Amino acid sequence: MKKFLALLLIGAMTISTVACGGSGAPAAEEAQPETTEAAPAEPAEEAAPAEEEAPAAEEAAPAGGDAASSITLWTYPIGKWGDEATVKGLTDAFTAETGITVNVEFLAYADGDDKVNTAITAGQAPDLIMEGPERLVANWGANGYMVDLSDMLDDTDKSEIQAAPLTACTAPGGEVYEYPLVMTAHCMAVNLNAFKEAGADQYLDLENHTWTTDDFIKAVEALYAHYGDTVAAVYCAGQGGDQGTRALVNNLYGGSYTDAAHTAYTWNSPENVKALEQLKGMNGIAFDASLAGGDEIAKFYQGILKMAFCWNIAQQLDPNGAGTGAGLTVTGEEIAFMSFPSETGTSNLQGGIWGFGIFDNGDAARIEASKKFIKYMADSAATADAVKAANYFAVRSAAEGTDLSAIWADNEIMNEYQVLMPQLGDYYQVTPGWAGQRTAWWTMLQKIGSGMDVTEALTQYEGEANAAAAE
Amino acid sequence: MSKEVVQKRSHALQRREDIAGYSFMLPSLIFFVGFVVIPMVICIWLSLTDSNMHTQGGGNFIGLKNFIDLFKDEVFLDALWNTFVIVFVSVPAVTAFSLWVSSAIYKLKMPVLSAFRCIFYLPVVTGSVAVTVVWKWIFDNYTGILNSVLKTTGAIDANINWLGDEKYALWCIILILFTTSVGQPIVLYVSALGNVDASLVEAAQVDGATDLQAFWKIKWPQIMPTTLYILVITTINSFQCFALIQLLTQGGSGTQTVMYYIYYTAFKLTEQSGHFGYANAMGVVLAIFIGVLSAIQMRLAKEK
Repeated sequence: MKKFLALLLIGAMTISTVACGGSGAPAAEEAQPETTEAAPAEPAEEAAPAEEEAPAAEEAAPAGGDAASSITLWTYPIGKWGDEATVKGLTDAFTAETGITVNVEFLAYADGDDKVNTAITAGQAPDLIMEGPERLVANWGANGYMVDLSDMLDDTDKSEIQAAPLTACTAPGGEVYEYPLVMTAHCMAVNLNAFKEAGADQYLDLENHTWTTDDFIKAVEALYAHYGDTVAAVYCAGQGGDQGTRALVNNLYGGSYTDAAHTAYTWNSPENVKALEQLKGMNGIAFDASLAGGDEIAKFYQGILKMAFCWNIAQQLDPNGAGTGAGLTVTGEEIAFMSFPSETGTSNLQGGIWGFGIFDNGDAARIEASKKFIKYMADSAATADAVKAANYFAVRSAAEGTDLSAIWADNEIMNEYQVLMPQLGDYYQVTPGWAGQRTAWWTMLQKIGSGMDVTEALTQYEGEANAAAAE
Repeated sequence: MSKEVVQKRSHALQRREDIAGYSFMLPSLIFFVGFVVIPMVICIWLSLTDSNMHTQGGGNFIGLKNFIDLFKDEVFLDALWNTFVIVFVSVPAVTAFSLWVSSAIYKLKMPVLSAFRCIFYLPVVTGSVAVTVVWKWIFDNYTGILNSVLKTTGAIDANINWLGDEKYALWCIILILFTTSVGQPIVLYVSALGNVDASLVEAAQVDGATDLQAFWKIKWPQIMPTTLYILVITTINSFQCFALIQLLTQGGSGTQTVMYYIYYTAFKLTEQSGHFGYANAMGVVLAIFIGVLSAIQMRLAKEK
């Protein structure tokens, strides 16, 4: 009896140990989205999928057996695509249409790349992933992990999708590693009440949401004279939201970040040196190594900073993701979104493009099922819901006969924001070595903030970025 | 019953007990081998290769190249320096403070003693993320309570960017590490001091020993095994300081440590060729330093 009991205990312990080791399939972990590159925002009622709308003209059943009846999607927090309830509504509608179930895992920007890279290394990559070309095309696609989706794009699709996002989603060899869904232009924001109090609102063109470099300098001077403290931060605690600092520096005096061919980084130019020296010498502007993009947004939302360099339409709709009202700080002060200042007043804004990619896991049935998912979300009557869930603008004018150009017609802020879209600049995030150079950029800003000579810093860290590009 | 039969039964009994013992150890052994021994061997092997996430298998054997490159890498050398600063400041501070607090409280009445134990142990049982977030608020450049108090008392004129300034950031990390590290040593020291033979202390005092003499000559030798254990675990924890860096500075503001640089190289620098091998080489170097320092501590403690 004792022996039997002992054996039973040993068996139980062994099984529990093995069971704790974890299974191969990733758990549907709910991660809190980080407000860095893609900020969550938007009232739930706008993001809710309209399931009653006619679904896409799709073949009903998946091709394969069990494998193709279920696929996995990992998504970064791209608007409400980081919200479980919203995504469930979208995927449920897809399942009802096709019979294919979708297991979703929500990634955060803080550690999402680590999870994906670990999964790739372990041969456990998801079927689908939702993010931008800098990851899907320039990184995972370039390294051979993604499926070429060019067969999903016929002439009609190519005519409907804007050229710039489609180019960004296409590798130099012509392979399309990302099927684009939405896009936006990243911008900056100002606390309008604070500007008015300081008499700095005279420097803003609120009709076109633009201002010149001289206006920006005068506005900062006025704000500093009024508040006597830091009014804006060149945040550099990490890579989160670095599109803001890049755009600020590049636009001030017309500098660039990469060459036109996207083969090398061009930080060390007289224009960028001038911009960084200007920023470094301004009272009221701090190179703050304790803040990343999300932190800066929070400080701006709290009214502590009077300007935010990390901003976009999703933030304008729901500042800091706090649900306290569109275009308002926590204390109800008015927020105005602005283009980055430039000498002419017209900027090259940093674009954001998001869409779907498929990891090549060697299973044709799963790839086929994943393509059905992409077709449903990005090129069907259901696309309007998928776009609205992201809080951004559709990359295409129509999808399978459904007009997408007016889906935000009922939203005043979205309509107003369209004034910035023509200023969308070069999508240079597909330059090789992208992941490595991001650290070089914020480290460089930290060094400049702590006293390093601007030219010396640009020389050293541009060298590091280009070394990463050459790998 | 013959002697041979008795011996045979005895052997059988022994064997049965051995099998039962090993069977009970088996789950732990599987865990230990699977999650410690095998990864260690893989780590050492990969440190000699140019392995990265894009190559199939273990990469190409490149000998000691990764180790040679490491000692030319300024970021690694900075990280190594910072790690040693953390270890050499944190370990003595934690040990001395724990001993001092324990000496002061171990004779208190049980409810009071328990209260103190709870207070000092609280940061240990509280999740490191929660503790770090609270400290981040305290150190906040704009609204942190530390700046507020210092400004109110006139100690500073302008806010200090505690976590964003190279002059302060590493010391802030050390301070947080200190508060999260003292709990366990205090509990261990309280227990060890409580187990010191009171009759020996009384005898020494009768013979005219002062409190200090009684401590150094009687108590200190008896709590030496506890001290050794505390030194070793605090050293290892300090060497492996990661979460604080990840959550507070991401290696910026002069707070890069070897542990964080390993993580960064392995999981962030995925475009760099041979990044797995390079990160593993750092892991091996770190393990060697931890091993050497622990061995020195053990030797010194034994000599005592």
